[in-house]
Amino acid sequence: MTLLRRTLLALGLPVLLVAVWWWASAGSTDFYRPALSTILAAFADTWTWDRVRADVLPSLARLAAGYLLALTGGVALGVLIGGNRHVRAFLEPLLEFLRAIPPPVLVPVFILLSGVGDRTKVLVIAFGCVWPILLNTVEGVRGRDEVLSDTCRTYRIGGGLRLWHLLLRSASPRIVTGARQALAIALIVMVISEMIAADNGLGFAVLQFQRGFQIPAMWSGVLLLGLIGVLLAWGFRWAERRMLGWYYGQRAGRREW
Amino acid sequence: MLEVDHLNKVYDSHGRRVEAIGDLTFTVPEGQFACVVGPSGCGKTTLLRTLAGLLPPTSGEVQVLRRRVTEPPAGLAVVFQEYGRSLFPWLRVRDNVELPLRAQRIAKARRRELADEALAAVGLAGTGSAYPWQLSGGMQQRVAIARAIAYQPRVLLMDEPFAAVDAQTRADLEDLIRSVWQRLGVTLLFVTHDIDEAVYLGQRVVILSAAPTRVADDLDIDLPADRDQLTTRADPRFTELRSRVYAQIQKVKADPPGKEG
Amino acid sequence: MTRATAGARAAPALLGLLGLAVFALVFEVAPRLGVVPADYAPPTSRVLAAAGEQVGRPAFWAALADTLLTWGTGLGIAVVAGVGAGVLIGAVPFLRAATATTVEFLRPIPSVALIPLVIVLYGSTIRSTVVLVVYAAFWQVLVQVLYGVADLDPVARDTARSYRLGRRLQLRYLLWPTALPYVLTGIRLAAAVALILAVTGELVIGSPGLGKEIDLAQQGGAVPAVYALILVTGLLGVLANVGLRVLERHVLAWHPSSRREVTPS
Repeated sequence: MTLLRRTLLALGLPVLLVAVWWWASAGSTDFYRPALSTILAAFADTWTWDRVRADVLPSLARLAAGYLLALTGGVALGVLIGGNRHVRAFLEPLLEFLRAIPPPVLVPVFILLSGVGDRTKVLVIAFGCVWPILLNTVEGVRGRDEVLSDTCRTYRIGGGLRLWHLLLRSASPRIVTGARQALAIALIVMVISEMIAADNGLGFAVLQFQRGFQIPAMWSGVLLLGLIGVLLAWGFRWAERRMLGWYYGQRAGRREW
Repeated sequence: MLEVDHLNKVYDSHGRRVEAIGDLTFTVPEGQFACVVGPSGCGKTTLLRTLAGLLPPTSGEVQVLRRRVTEPPAGLAVVFQEYGRSLFPWLRVRDNVELPLRAQRIAKARRRELADEALAAVGLAGTGSAYPWQLSGGMQQRVAIARAIAYQPRVLLMDEPFAAVDAQTRADLEDLIRSVWQRLGVTLLFVTHDIDEAVYLGQRVVILSAAPTRVADDLDIDLPADRDQLTTRADPRFTELRSRVYAQIQKVKADPPGKEG
Repeated sequence: MTRATAGARAAPALLGLLGLAVFALVFEVAPRLGVVPADYAPPTSRVLAAAGEQVGRPAFWAALADTLLTWGTGLGIAVVAGVGAGVLIGAVPFLRAATATTVEFLRPIPSVALIPLVIVLYGSTIRSTVVLVVYAAFWQVLVQVLYGVADLDPVARDTARSYRLGRRLQLRYLLWPTALPYVLTGIRLAAAVALILAVTGELVIGSPGLGKEIDLAQQGGAVPAVYALILVTGLLGVLANVGLRVLERHVLAWHPSSRREVTPS
């Protein structure tokens, strides 16, 4: 009963919305708002394996490369900056400024500096999404528990053990928060960089469909982009639950007292 | 052993100068169980942090195992009051106990052995794979004590370790500490604000004055070595000693030492 | 020691200024030494000169006004809709349960995916970009409001119930004060995202604003102007962030949970 109820609650609204879209758009004659059935048919026709290999995989590869670059760079820099008061004071206003620049406007600049190749896109994705990771790591490292720091000092736990078990693990909830924000930004920058300068990729393909008035294909591209966003977010949440099990457990425990 | 020699500590923050420790001198010989009590805000924690090498003295010096303390000394373990914050929440109980041993590059098999022994000694055999936050407060503090035991220190410092646990657990933990000390033969400095606890646990009670702190009194606790919550606390000698400590503390609270620092 | 601490208090701000100065200096010297091509990465002084030129152009001010209009309109709509929907959904358990999956599905859709759609539907107009801004900012507000409403202290709720406070009073004195800090956090996060999408929309869709100016400057080969305009968008972002932080502190001065922010979602 409860399982049934929960399933109904979880699926009820999405099913209803899709159904409404289906019925409302059925037999649509509006060139720009095709019927959902047309869009779905176009989806199957458009996103064939060849197309996936030509456009989707390059996009995802650039996204992964840029994001991983930002993740490693942001965490490494964040630990360095967060661990030292003076470095932090020195860099804080600068980082606040760099973070505030809307990442997509850097696309033209990066094109000037390093051309229109994959390297540019990877760099611009990394540069665009590194800030939330970096700033959250700084905050996380800075906000580590003093008693835990003292514990490390008295038991003479230093070097790699301290880096991993004190600094990084303390900061990990914040790092994850930053990484989540960064993933959303990385996806945006990926699409934008491909819309502005590319000859393949999802952003490029979708804009081509729009310019060529292949409207159902364009809609299917929008759907695919949305789907990728959703899958990435879900994948992220799965990874987060695994990595931060201790964190949620501790918080749930505290609430009970 | 521990030597505190004309220790003075002044905090200077936001333009306000606070003399936490005035002029403190005392020695804890090898293997002694010494308790330090004093009115609240008398710099007990400052003293302990200085001994642990977590805080540099303003003047005077502190020696642990005949070495001047400039950084956290080897062979010294600390059990903090905030058990919930001194254990790594992302490590299981056993890994928490083993972490300081890993820092000492002790082989895995030996680490495991030491951790198992220590956990058994505090009555936590079999909880090694739990996370600290899954345990009750008293059990968490036992884990912190087990970590200190496994570290095999020659000096053990405890900073009001039982201030945040309930009375029943507290009595159990007091007896646990007595037995640990007797078994390991460590030099133990136990800071507390609880007079009963100090008299019940220690071979000696050092009474501190209000800030700027000095030694107000230094008392030998000549109770038998075998102590027991029921009989020891009912012992007339116990009552006498605790009254003396109590009177001393009331006195230092009433007339704080001169401000000549 | 006293001197050292007094210095230490003033030091962070000075160090920060020094950081900005060093950054500016590096970008002044690097192109001049030929470390980076001066044509594509002009020295700081030329970027600042270009910024000065921009300030003298009426078109710049028109573009700035357009960006602010796009941003403000989109953010305004998103905040009103997000708070309204959030309080409604959060306060009614059935709605909360029924919308959870839908929110989880719609939220991660990148708003830039909608760019081709809004181009065919509304063309290169401010309206197109506003739609993007609203879509991106709405979820930030909604999710924070939902956290806020869920954070309601059970004891406070039971107290209100046992004193038989009506729905309206509960909303006014229980729900709203609890959710307020989250609402403000949501607005601050939404403002940052809204600015990104406003400028991005202008850049890609070509609706009037700073983003379009950047595109025009780049196509015209006015590289220092590109950098100058990027500088302006960054400053805009800093101003928005600082302004909203100040507002937050001001509004929440009374609030016990003043400095709380949801870290993981």
